[in-house]
Amino acid sequence: MRLPAARATDRLFIPNFCTVRPVFVLVLMAELLAIVLTLSTATDVNASFYDLALKSLFIQWVTLCCAAVLCASRTFYSRLSEARVAMVAYLSMLGITWLLSELAWWTLDYLSNSMPLGAASRGGVLARNLAIASIVIGIALRYMYVHHHWERRIESESEARLQALQARIRPHFFFNCMNTIASLTRSHPMQAEKAVEDLADLFRASLLPVRERVTLGGELELCRQYLRIEALRLQDRLAIDWQMDELPADALVPVLSIQPLIENAIYHGIEPLPQGGVTRIRGQRDGYLLTVVIENPKPADGRRSSRASHGFAQENVGQRMQAFHGESGGLAVEDLGDQYRATLSFAYERADDADPHR
Amino acid sequence: MNAPTMRILIVDDEPLARERLASLIRELAVGEVVGEAGNGIEALTAVAAHGPDLVLLDIRMPGMDGLEAAQHLAHYEPPPAVIFTTAFGDYALEAFEASAVDYLLKPIRKERLLQGLQRARVLSRGALDILKERTGPTRARTHLSAPVGGSLRLVPVDEVLYFQADQKYVTVVWTGGELVIEEPLKTLEAEFGERFLRIHRNALVSLSRVEVLARDGVGGLAVKLRGTEKRLPVSRRLSGQVRKCLKSMRKAEEGLPADA
Repeated sequence: MRLPAARATDRLFIPNFCTVRPVFVLVLMAELLAIVLTLSTATDVNASFYDLALKSLFIQWVTLCCAAVLCASRTFYSRLSEARVAMVAYLSMLGITWLLSELAWWTLDYLSNSMPLGAASRGGVLARNLAIASIVIGIALRYMYVHHHWERRIESESEARLQALQARIRPHFFFNCMNTIASLTRSHPMQAEKAVEDLADLFRASLLPVRERVTLGGELELCRQYLRIEALRLQDRLAIDWQMDELPADALVPVLSIQPLIENAIYHGIEPLPQGGVTRIRGQRDGYLLTVVIENPKPADGRRSSRASHGFAQENVGQRMQAFHGESGGLAVEDLGDQYRATLSFAYERADDADPHR
Repeated sequence: MNAPTMRILIVDDEPLARERLASLIRELAVGEVVGEAGNGIEALTAVAAHGPDLVLLDIRMPGMDGLEAAQHLAHYEPPPAVIFTTAFGDYALEAFEASAVDYLLKPIRKERLLQGLQRARVLSRGALDILKERTGPTRARTHLSAPVGGSLRLVPVDEVLYFQADQKYVTVVWTGGELVIEEPLKTLEAEFGERFLRIHRNALVSLSRVEVLARDGVGGLAVKLRGTEKRLPVSRRLSGQVRKCLKSMRKAEEGLPADA
């Protein structure tokens, strides 16, 4: 399974021509095109205005018909891939141009004997119109496509930034933790003290910039601190099988890249199970490729989803891993029914040698 | 209620959270802790065993959570008063406000606990309905319950084969036997509609238990369920829908497993 994809809706790159604004912009653009076309052949002023009026009339007709068709086929488009949408939209708009060109030619031919389109033959007019349309529509679609993706990127970047801030410490964890400490303060002041220290370290790490890199040893220490706090809360429901000795402690990883995955395992896997279970955390080294595998039992499927999706932390970790380690970095997750497995892989890099591959 | 003899049950999945509540109650000297439980099901057993006046009920717990436990608790005669305890982020606090149900935020303050204990009361049906509605329609119960004798019989929804309605009651047939409950099929269908299929005006069957859909010999269709010999008739009116639903389910089973 890949990481959760972006929202399924609203992915269409063609603006919604069922609303006023895009249609208005389109009409404006069409008028500019009419002016450009008129200017390119303009000789005297009076004839030019007549020419502009005629061209505007035709182009606006085509434009509005195109907008209507794009509006009407929106739901149909949303089921197609982007390439198909582009192709279907392109061809249907060319079709509209062709139809209206035919219509215009016959109308003008019928209305006047003076041949306002010049001495051009029907075939010539159609060919010319279609040639212009194929270029202009192509450019327009390309523009919509680029614009859409640019907007999407801006959106997802700011969203990711926000998530990065929020995903660090789950409020649920924080408040329960405070409750635990309040309880320990009475009965076991020493443990309370330790819990406060661990929590403080976790908080400090969560306040580091997202781009900060730490040593694997440091990150694993954070994980152990986190697990100590969870052990206070969950007690014997939490069992950890920790096998991380194979990994070099001096490898660099993004800060809070492993801890959130362990937190996910506990939050989604151990906490909802009345008897708890064993979370396995294994480190493997294969030359310069390091992997951390986190496996946890989870409640059977079909349970209500009162716990929001894993996606949040996973996406965040996966993205940062890729940003740091490029091709070699990544997160894969597998749902094995009653088990869940997250595999984090990344290249072995140290602070003092930027490129260990040599 | 606020006599010093108030009998209190503490329900929380975290032992330290229970410990703290117990010591706060001891200090306040307004009642005595008669028992503790670590999840909803344990809580129901403990209520049957100790008959507390008040249950301090954590919301997020494994197995059966506090909100569901509260619904089952309402079947006890007399039902105990309930105060929810919750950490921020567990469930929409707005739901509690709307239903006027009392809740305590963790870490719980001593003064606030005292206040809560003094005005603790039994949850009304109306409040429970509002809570259920506001906390989301996706939250189906994990168990069904009915009072049997002096205690409460619980049936895990996962183990239910089918529901059958007669004049007044609905019979739940499950792997462990049968139980008569006082809920109309319509509300059961609304709550468990994802996992149960209406095959007749009077019957709702578990989709995962359907073994085969076959002719019944007299021109109609009948459903055979795994785990029972009985065949349940499919009404003529619903036969189209039933066929379609089972077909799409088969297809989904053959296809790729659903995403996590």
